[in-house]
Amino acid sequence: MGFIQDVLTSFVAIMPVTLAQSLILAFVVLGIMIPFRMLNFPDLTSEGAFPLGGCVCGVLLAAGVSPLTCIVVAFAAGFAAGCCTAFIHLRFRIHTLLAGILMMTMLYSINLRIMGKSNLSVFGSPTVFDWVPFARPGFPASKIVVAGLLALIVFAALYMFFRTEKGTAVRAVGANPDMAEAQGINVWAATIGGVGLASAFSASSGALMVQSQGFADVNMGLGILINGLAALMIGEAVVGKQTVWRQLLAPFAGAIIYYQLVSFCLAAGMPPPDLKLATGLFVLAMLALPSLKRGRGSAPAREAIRE
Amino acid sequence: MLDIRSARKVFYKGQADEKVALDGLSLSLATGDFGIVIGSNGAGKSSMLNAISGALVLDSGKILINGADVTAMPVHKRATRLARVFQDPMRGTAASMTVAENMLLADLRSRKRTLRQGLNAARLASYKERLSILGLGLENRLDTRVDLLSGGQRQSLSLIMAVGGSPALLLLDEHTAALDPRTAEIVMQATVRAVNALKLTTLMVTHNMQHAVDYGSRVIMLDAGRVLLEVTGEEKARVTVIDLIGHFSIKTDRMLLAS
Repeated sequence: MGFIQDVLTSFVAIMPVTLAQSLILAFVVLGIMIPFRMLNFPDLTSEGAFPLGGCVCGVLLAAGVSPLTCIVVAFAAGFAAGCCTAFIHLRFRIHTLLAGILMMTMLYSINLRIMGKSNLSVFGSPTVFDWVPFARPGFPASKIVVAGLLALIVFAALYMFFRTEKGTAVRAVGANPDMAEAQGINVWAATIGGVGLASAFSASSGALMVQSQGFADVNMGLGILINGLAALMIGEAVVGKQTVWRQLLAPFAGAIIYYQLVSFCLAAGMPPPDLKLATGLFVLAMLALPSLKRGRGSAPAREAIRE
Repeated sequence: MLDIRSARKVFYKGQADEKVALDGLSLSLATGDFGIVIGSNGAGKSSMLNAISGALVLDSGKILINGADVTAMPVHKRATRLARVFQDPMRGTAASMTVAENMLLADLRSRKRTLRQGLNAARLASYKERLSILGLGLENRLDTRVDLLSGGQRQSLSLIMAVGGSPALLLLDEHTAALDPRTAEIVMQATVRAVNALKLTTLMVTHNMQHAVDYGSRVIMLDAGRVLLEVTGEEKARVTVIDLIGHFSIKTDRMLLAS
């Protein structure tokens, strides 16, 4: 009994910290979901866009720029990175995954160039979390308020956008690019804009993370993609993905649940080095589930993705 | 009005398997004309349709729709002037979106897409009305995902989507070939009704000689990337399936002699 009590006590104790972290990282999950589900464009750029946003934010914070401006610039930098990935795919007909790998590899050097060194402490710099009244800066409550508010705004804005005429057109590009083109939709513009926006969210998440943790590191994106995918899978399993509302809610719900789950596993004594293996196996299981359900008899129906 | 002027397209140029798809093809269709395109496999029917829609870029020649030169326009820009129904029901609709959303996409084909709400009450009502013409019950399934519809229903939806907004040119690419005979008949009747009611300039590719005889104001037979035969007016009214098939065999004889 004592063991279980210890586990629960330490799990509950770090719950607010985990919640704050998961709300910040929800934007990466969103940045993975938009290309993957809305545009049918599996994209790996976020692994490079997340640290890109962090590095840009770190350098600007160190230079004394206002924390909000830092996030805006990080957003723009991420947008540019995502546009590049989409352009590489469209112009040179390179597979989306390979285009993403190319981009995130190149971004590593760019991130190092931006910072000039591999990590940078910005501890003590002003952050957007300081602006919350009635909450002591640096405590999870203020982070939860800021990140939660941002998540709410972004969710509402995206939900409204995907119901507009333009938003429906963007979804059509993901559903059937040939048909979209034949209906007068500019597939290039929609793909570049959509993937760009997704990477912009990933980069903003990196910027928020740097302000939250007080330092920037070129390696901060390591494994962010697999964590994000796992969170997305959980979110889709819990809230579903049949409608735009559910599909948009999935990354946020998934991020919150996933990071609590991870923190519970760690509290229960799982060695941190095993975490990635566990996450990978979990994502594999979630992706394999449909084909396992179908059984061995029928032909393997592969998910149609853009090549 | 459609005007194709000496269109030429060669695949695999300069290679051993070089293939001339369009060999100086010229074709003119007056406004309101319903042209039926026939020809054996490899005659250039699909290449011609792709060249008109913009999916295929010509090596030389010009394409004009209602007098405007569209030769250099990409597919999505030409879409404001023309609509197309493909042979494969899967290609003409967005499977993971609802019937209403598909109708909306077609509705916006020739318009500027804004940031206003896409599906509103007025639009839904008009889609309901337009779909009820088919008599397939699609008007009660506006919120159904298109991948849950049958092939015939999807193709009928594609047709309604294509004729909406009265495009300057309607391209039908063997659009009943993948359907069972009864559904094919429903789709074909709906096509003829829409084309007549809206006086659409139409180009229909078919392998069904009976359709070529029964419908349309002219028959265009393609062979080796050019127009081999055009039957119009009085002659079109009198033409029979036997006559048309006869022209296929002449070509086959020639091919035999040439080889």
